[in-house]
Amino acid sequence: MSASTTTLHPAALARRPTGRRNYARQYWLFAMPAAVVVVAVILFPWLFTFVMSVNDWKVSGNVYFVGLGNYEHLFHDPRFLWAVVRTLYFTTAAVVAPMLLGIWAAVCFAENFKLRGAARTIFILPMMATPVAIALVWTMMFHPQLGVLNYLLSLVGLPPSSWVYSSATVIPTLVMVETWQWTPLVMLIVLGGITSLPIDPYEAAVIDGANGWQMFRYITLPLVWPFIVVAAAMRIIDALKAFDTIFVITNGGPGTSSETINMLLYQTAFGYYDLGYASAMVVVFFALILLLSGVLLRMRKWEHGV
Amino acid sequence: MTVAPQAVRGDQATKPAATRAAAQLRAVNPYRLRRQLNRVGLYASILFLVSPAILFFFWMLSLSLKNELDNTAYPPVFLPHPPTLANFIDVFAKNDFLTYTINSVIVSFTATGLALLLGVPAGYGIAKSKATKAAVLILVARVTPGLSYLIPLFLMFQWLGMLGSLAPLIITHLVITVPIVVWIMIGYFEGLPIELEEAALVDGCNIWQAFRYVAVPLARPGIVVGMILSFIFSWNNFIFGVVLAGRDTRTLPVAVYNVLTFEQISWGPLAAAALVVTAPVLLLTLLMQKEIVAGLTAGGVKGG
Amino acid sequence: MIGRRTLLASSAALLAAPAIIRTVHAQSTFDWKRCKGQRVVIALTKNPRADCLQQHQKEFEELTGIRVESEQMPEQQQRPKMVMELASGRPSFDVTHFSLHVSKRVVGTGLWLEDMRPYLANPALTAPDYDWADMSPGALRAATQPDGRIDSLPLESDIWLVYYNKQLFQQKGLSFPKTFDEMLATARKLNDPASGTYGFVARGVKNANVPVWTSILLGQDQETVTPDGRTLLTDTPGAIWAGEMYKSLLRECAPPGVIGFNWNECQTSFMQGKVGMWLDGVGFTPPLLDPKVSKIVDHVGFGVMPAGPKAQACPVFTDALGIPVQSKAKEAAYLYCQWATSKQMLLNLVNMGAGASPRLSTYQDPVLMKASPFGQEWLQTLLASMKIARSGLPEIVPVNEFRDVIGIALSNMIGGADVAKELHAATTAFQPVLAQSLKT
Repeated sequence: MSASTTTLHPAALARRPTGRRNYARQYWLFAMPAAVVVVAVILFPWLFTFVMSVNDWKVSGNVYFVGLGNYEHLFHDPRFLWAVVRTLYFTTAAVVAPMLLGIWAAVCFAENFKLRGAARTIFILPMMATPVAIALVWTMMFHPQLGVLNYLLSLVGLPPSSWVYSSATVIPTLVMVETWQWTPLVMLIVLGGITSLPIDPYEAAVIDGANGWQMFRYITLPLVWPFIVVAAAMRIIDALKAFDTIFVITNGGPGTSSETINMLLYQTAFGYYDLGYASAMVVVFFALILLLSGVLLRMRKWEHGV
Repeated sequence: MTVAPQAVRGDQATKPAATRAAAQLRAVNPYRLRRQLNRVGLYASILFLVSPAILFFFWMLSLSLKNELDNTAYPPVFLPHPPTLANFIDVFAKNDFLTYTINSVIVSFTATGLALLLGVPAGYGIAKSKATKAAVLILVARVTPGLSYLIPLFLMFQWLGMLGSLAPLIITHLVITVPIVVWIMIGYFEGLPIELEEAALVDGCNIWQAFRYVAVPLARPGIVVGMILSFIFSWNNFIFGVVLAGRDTRTLPVAVYNVLTFEQISWGPLAAAALVVTAPVLLLTLLMQKEIVAGLTAGGVKGG
Repeated sequence: MIGRRTLLASSAALLAAPAIIRTVHAQSTFDWKRCKGQRVVIALTKNPRADCLQQHQKEFEELTGIRVESEQMPEQQQRPKMVMELASGRPSFDVTHFSLHVSKRVVGTGLWLEDMRPYLANPALTAPDYDWADMSPGALRAATQPDGRIDSLPLESDIWLVYYNKQLFQQKGLSFPKTFDEMLATARKLNDPASGTYGFVARGVKNANVPVWTSILLGQDQETVTPDGRTLLTDTPGAIWAGEMYKSLLRECAPPGVIGFNWNECQTSFMQGKVGMWLDGVGFTPPLLDPKVSKIVDHVGFGVMPAGPKAQACPVFTDALGIPVQSKAKEAAYLYCQWATSKQMLLNLVNMGAGASPRLSTYQDPVLMKASPFGQEWLQTLLASMKIARSGLPEIVPVNEFRDVIGIALSNMIGGADVAKELHAATTAFQPVLAQSLKT
């Protein structure tokens, strides 16, 4: 139960007659058009962002070259540093919760049961729905006096929560919205993996007397791992970049309690019109995202160990 | 059809689907009681997983069908009596939602179509050549925060005089849709059995033909998933539209945000507008559900 | 930077100009049709003022033969979009509707908008009955840049006042407070969390909450910066007193969750009849008296901002219309601005309850006086407030950042933080930003 596509294929290719390898070399041509488009659309913004980040660039003022001044300022700016901390806190929770629930949901939905189609359709509706629209409705539900959520809490005998109206509960509440919305994406990706699993190992396992958890742990999980990694990568990136729901529901508040890097970035660029400083923030933010998703990409090779 | 090629490459054609494994398991497992308990647990799990979505959409619908006094009543009024369409009429009377819908349709369809055209071959190429660098490059587009594009792209499109049209929106939406399609297709193509393509190549196909007539049909479920996901992301995108869309090019998510009027809170119309924006994707979900399920479970390598 | 005195003198000189023009051209009929067939694009901020303009838009088109394309955008979008478009030098609009208390210095520093003075002085472009001198001194001051340029015409002066629930007041035998100390005492008496009733509500969410605090601060006869706009006055004893008042009112007497309330949550709470007093802008009146959304239609009272230890004043925030220098239809755009800020249109605005007029003549209109759309108490409160109105936010370039930094401090106070410490910290944090903004 080791080795994966990623490691097997090159070996397989190498064993083939030399004539085939020319084909292999040509495969990258397939990626060219997409790569060209992507580079064309993102290259200019990158360069421009970098140029802005080394200048004191305010919308209504003159532009001065300040070198790494903006970056230096960033690392002494408590508001930014706290935004980094909050972003990591939010991201961790907004990845872990949907991943656990999503894998659980995928295992459940892989079973055959009555109304499976209907249940699955309902389950994936949140991720289909438009985030802005969803966020507006959640906001109404969170209202501390008139919101339906506090009423539901009171029905089951729980004290009312302040939801997004208190510094202590705002991020957990936003994580709840994010989880509600994006667990289905995790479920779909992982389900794609589970349903394509071969049957042989299960047959063998059943004969060996393995129970459900053991089969999940030692067969399903390792085989589905690449899918889980893809789902986790998407979650990390999306959670780091989360904007719409936080923007609409709290706009970073109360105070700065839910001000993630993205919120502060928006505020700096479009509230304070400080494009230079905002651009420096983009560069650092981008580096952070690359770092985290890079770590995850490495984990794609985790299968070796299983 | 995906992953675990060592099994696929076994002497038999794939008999995938854990569901079948589970069925097998049930047939073998002698402990009926435990099975019953598992069943109960399964249904409880499903109920737990599905109820938040049911509650949310019910409440959204309820808000949109009640008058303002009922909407802000406490304890909340759950069932609208009588239901009113006034909120929807209000939304359509005050906003040009038809234009916004057409804009959203054009942008999302074009961006998704182009993404498939570019992304499916790219996913294939990357999967086959193990071009991790290309994968990373395309992933980078997915990774870059949308906000960072805004200022430079806005200035660029303005400089090119393109801002009055939908083109800037479609182009920026490609940054969202292409990476999704590529990313998903890599996973699908990586799992395809090589034998089929090898056979095609031996039969005298070139790699393009092998791709077009062997790999693409096999990967159709993946294409469907990629298409749906990229369509959603494109349809739902808010931040690009906020900056790049003008009066005539506004998309629905931006329009719904505009319903949040200053100096007057209006939960009913807001919920109604939210529902109008979301309805097409929800409807699409209902229609495409079969495709998604088929794409994910049918294990299409028959007759390999 | 020009001092306020010079500024006043220059606007006074300007006030005289239209009067001369009027005597010369009183006889000639003004040609509204001079830009017939042109097209202007109006970028409006979503608010009741914009509703009023759009309702009467047809009249303007008939009057001038100019085709108008207008649209409203929420301020969170419109503000940055306006600035970005103006900065990029290719604005998509011919007239922009913006808040002077937010964007005045940004557009002023960028020299992005047309100086209106030549237009106002040109009898071919300005109707004789326009009467620029009729604009209130406060509105004139708001519309004038430090260098003397007038790059926008004031459309509305949003007065801040106190809405109160007469029913709740009667139940406890209370009368409307005259000072902030009384207000706090009254709020405490009204407060009854057990029954879900609260004494007071106002914005607690950062940025939006700053005008609430400055409303109280004006009672100390001081604003947030020195008149030259260089030094912050946000941690003076007066400022700390205002902070303590703000903290007591919102921490002790407001509904839970007020730290996240913007105007809309406040309004919703108040309309439910669960809150005794609500301090905010006059433009929020119409929904309170609309039986379709409000449960307290018959119980809404209007009160002038209470007095502080040193003064009684209420903040005022001005909306204005400006024309980008790159507009290709400047004259038509000017005709629109002129029409929108004319006596009749501003009277329409008040009659709609869309806000307070920046024109003095509006409040001498006999029809309005007799049949105020929202009752005499509303009108009298408005009139009394106009007389004590002062600027509620500093006229500096980084005003948004100012609102965030101070606003965060205020939010922290609701959470229980020490007022003096928070204000000192916020002042120390913002002073360099202000200094930086003055350099360029």
